[in-house]
Amino acid sequence: MSAAPDPTQDIDEVLITEEQIARTVGELGARISADYAGRELTLVSVLKGSLPFMADLMRSITIPVRIDLMEVSSYGGTATESSGLVRILKDLSSSIADAHVLVVEDIIDTGLTLNYLVRYLRGKSPASLRICTLLDKPARRLVDIPVDYVGFTIEDRFVVGYGLDYGELYRNLRFVGVLRPDVYTEPA
Amino acid sequence: MTDALAPDPPPPARGPTFAHASEAELARILDFYAVRWEYEPHTFAILWNLDGDVVESFAPDFYLPEFDLYLEMTTLKQRLVRKKNRKLRRLRELYPDIRIKLFYARDFRMLMLKYGKLGIIESLSGTPGQMLGPRQAPAPEAAVLELGALEPDEAADGSEPGLERPASPPARARRRRPGRRDAVVDKPLAGS
Repeated sequence: MSAAPDPTQDIDEVLITEEQIARTVGELGARISADYAGRELTLVSVLKGSLPFMADLMRSITIPVRIDLMEVSSYGGTATESSGLVRILKDLSSSIADAHVLVVEDIIDTGLTLNYLVRYLRGKSPASLRICTLLDKPARRLVDIPVDYVGFTIEDRFVVGYGLDYGELYRNLRFVGVLRPDVYTEPA
Repeated sequence: MTDALAPDPPPPARGPTFAHASEAELARILDFYAVRWEYEPHTFAILWNLDGDVVESFAPDFYLPEFDLYLEMTTLKQRLVRKKNRKLRRLRELYPDIRIKLFYARDFRMLMLKYGKLGIIESLSGTPGQMLGPRQAPAPEAAVLELGALEPDEAADGSEPGLERPASPPARARRRRPGRRDAVVDKPLAGS
């Protein structure tokens, strides 16, 4: 797969503008700051897609926060992974025992990755564990997990941008857009 | 009489026999993310004749015990899923406490797109994805039940063109209306 020289040319429609993202991230930051007032919060970002959201969200939170990063392998990443089990590619840098943890996700669709992560993190004995996602795609949910903070609930379309990729591209778009179907149906 | 000098080789470890390649692929995905699943563990009676005999039943493809959730997959074209939708409606009417999700061809396609496996979607969908012979489970250790010969979930339905499962003769359902007894028919375990 190759992207157009200007990746915005591969976008069918801008679903969420840069301004809408900024406004909603600010609102989420304010809510989280109020909910965790008087406590210290640890944000755990799930690489790679949540990086832009994490960067903006942490700066919109006004209480003390620690940050940490995790990465887990995705199904289909390699032939080996297709027949294996999910792996932690990057683990937490610090202990989260007795910490108030907020998992920061870019998108929740099937819920499979998040379900795995939540079980893993619960095993680390945090004081509390909540979930924040920029995008929620409930139509695609396979396993239900309660999500505490949702930026946008979106319909069932394949979206890229603001951290979300297709074939590792489009993460740098400043908006969330719908990828043109011919981009992913064309032979590589 | 058994020839003691030529013993049969030990049988291979058995997993569920999937009716369709898309089901096997979903099982691999669930295994990958360490989600426990059972393949067609229950058959629900959904239609009875005047004598109270079951004439139609429905066996959802997967049950996820941690989530108390059934998943039914269909990779048929949308116009061919009418019958399955009707059965699902009937199931929900009769068993309102059951949580079940229908996974359509489009859903499966989007799942494959998400995992970068869109290139093999045609081989996993619709008629080409039918598994006419026995298949091993992709990761038998994750399967909760080891199932032997499975009953068709289309019991007493007969077949219709385009169905993704191999046509099977209507099976005589054995159980009676919910509220009487035995509304849920457990699949026979291997060797039972």
